[in-house]
Amino acid sequence: MNVVKDRGVLASVVFALGLLPLHATAADAVNLEGMWKITAPQSSFKPEGGSIPFTDKGRKRYQENKRLRAQKKFDDYDIATARCASPGLPRLMITPERFRIWQRPGVIMIQFEWNRLYRQIDMGGLIPQRRVGALASSPGGQGDDEALVGRAIPIAKGQWEGDTLVMNTEGFSDHTLIDDLVPHGYDMKLTERIRLRDSDTLENRITIQDPEFFTKPWQTMVSYKRQPDAVFPERVCLDTLNLEHWPPGKGR
Amino acid sequence: MTVKTLATMAFLVCMGTALAQQPPPRGEVGARAGAPAGAGAAQSGNGGLPTRDVDDRADRAARGLMSRPPLPANAPQPSPDPRNFDGTWFHEDSLTFYIGVDMFGNQLPFTDLGRKVTQRRWDSIATKGAPYIYASTYCIPTGQPLQFDLNMPFQVFQTKDRLDFIFEEYHGLWQISLDPDKVPLPGYMGPSVAHWDGNTLVVETKGFKEGFWVTGHGTSASRDAKLTQRIRKVQTGDKWYLEMIYTLDDPTYYTRPWSWARQYAWHPDMTLFKEYNCELQTGAKDGLDPSLVAEPQD
Repeated sequence: MNVVKDRGVLASVVFALGLLPLHATAADAVNLEGMWKITAPQSSFKPEGGSIPFTDKGRKRYQENKRLRAQKKFDDYDIATARCASPGLPRLMITPERFRIWQRPGVIMIQFEWNRLYRQIDMGGLIPQRRVGALASSPGGQGDDEALVGRAIPIAKGQWEGDTLVMNTEGFSDHTLIDDLVPHGYDMKLTERIRLRDSDTLENRITIQDPEFFTKPWQTMVSYKRQPDAVFPERVCLDTLNLEHWPPGKGR
Repeated sequence: MTVKTLATMAFLVCMGTALAQQPPPRGEVGARAGAPAGAGAAQSGNGGLPTRDVDDRADRAARGLMSRPPLPANAPQPSPDPRNFDGTWFHEDSLTFYIGVDMFGNQLPFTDLGRKVTQRRWDSIATKGAPYIYASTYCIPTGQPLQFDLNMPFQVFQTKDRLDFIFEEYHGLWQISLDPDKVPLPGYMGPSVAHWDGNTLVVETKGFKEGFWVTGHGTSASRDAKLTQRIRKVQTGDKWYLEMIYTLDDPTYYTRPWSWARQYAWHPDMTLFKEYNCELQTGAKDGLDPSLVAEPQD
């Protein structure tokens, strides 16, 4: 595993990688590629230093979610469980299933086994990106302004700080939860600091900010163990839901 | 949640089901190869099914979508290795709603059952206006042909013994093993195993979990089908493509194997995907358009 611990070495590696063709696999200073799985399965985050610093609104929503869970009214607060919709972030980072990291020039792709979801980290340096459906005559090819739409999994902005991948994510929808119960709003900001603790252990230190729901930023940490490379089984969450309207008659 | 956000999310979510739910507006359906616009002009001699491809070429031309801006001069190029498909690709050509002929201009060689199923599906959309529910409607894996055809980008991640295709649409995933001892499990998209024939990747898929719609207007494949895709990287002028020749060997629906071709353009300007969270809609109790109907089973 190529872990760079020194800024001078880092600069040399970055320079050297700049000379590589853009299809090179190890495009960034630290190679995080591979298959990973959470070390200890968990459905909620354990905040460092005590409890989650809820605002009154945050605590009220949290208690309401607990009440809805007890009543099994999942569609009223947890559409990932109820509908297989994207669970969002940081919840997806505690999936009990595996994920694979692909590093390519300018972008890191995290491919999750759960329902075939993916997450992208924009590392900078990509050429200007176009939207599907953009008109040829449209300046920059921007077909719509997606930045106005909150996502379950926004594209993160990433950068290397030594051997640590720092990912900043914002632009969320309010459809998702932080874990299986904790709410958040549109203004949540995530900072994730991912590094190799050793060649087979990945750690992710997560800082969550959302002044609407938390009185101050709070942190939690998750670790992952390297797994053997393998093809994922095709996961289709909708096939696992016991829905009255599913399937009434798919094409055979 | 603002109205604007809701409306925009609804638009994004609905894009995937629109193909299945909406018959093309009159006058926007045109046949390939310069045929007169309108599906009706192509419907004869094949039991009422179109005898040419039906696509959105005319509509796309009217909207200025047939010519995309060139990539900037500093755009990255694909790997010089002809056996490396890594990168972002995009089906920028017209969307084929129905395949009427194979790549050599021959009518599709239906069995009686294949014609019956295909006719039923075509009629449900083109004449009855009551489309059937199928994989695309629900946001489950559609099978390779439709997944690739829809005009959204995909990325290839390749290692020495496998290729993973990750699609924006349906957050789709197609995994191919180059190692015959590591065959993926059966699913809607597979299992797919490949080998190299020169610089052409030959991918064979047999053992589909279900039959699938090859196109959104009912070109059909049964679960007994064997799908072969011959994929190679080609350069035309200054543009790079993945050329893909599909061959469907499906004795349940067709009397002989038949083939069609597609090309997917190199598009590093589409590397950052939009979110495609279609289960948000389709997983809801009232998530499906009530005008959709269940398809009769044979």
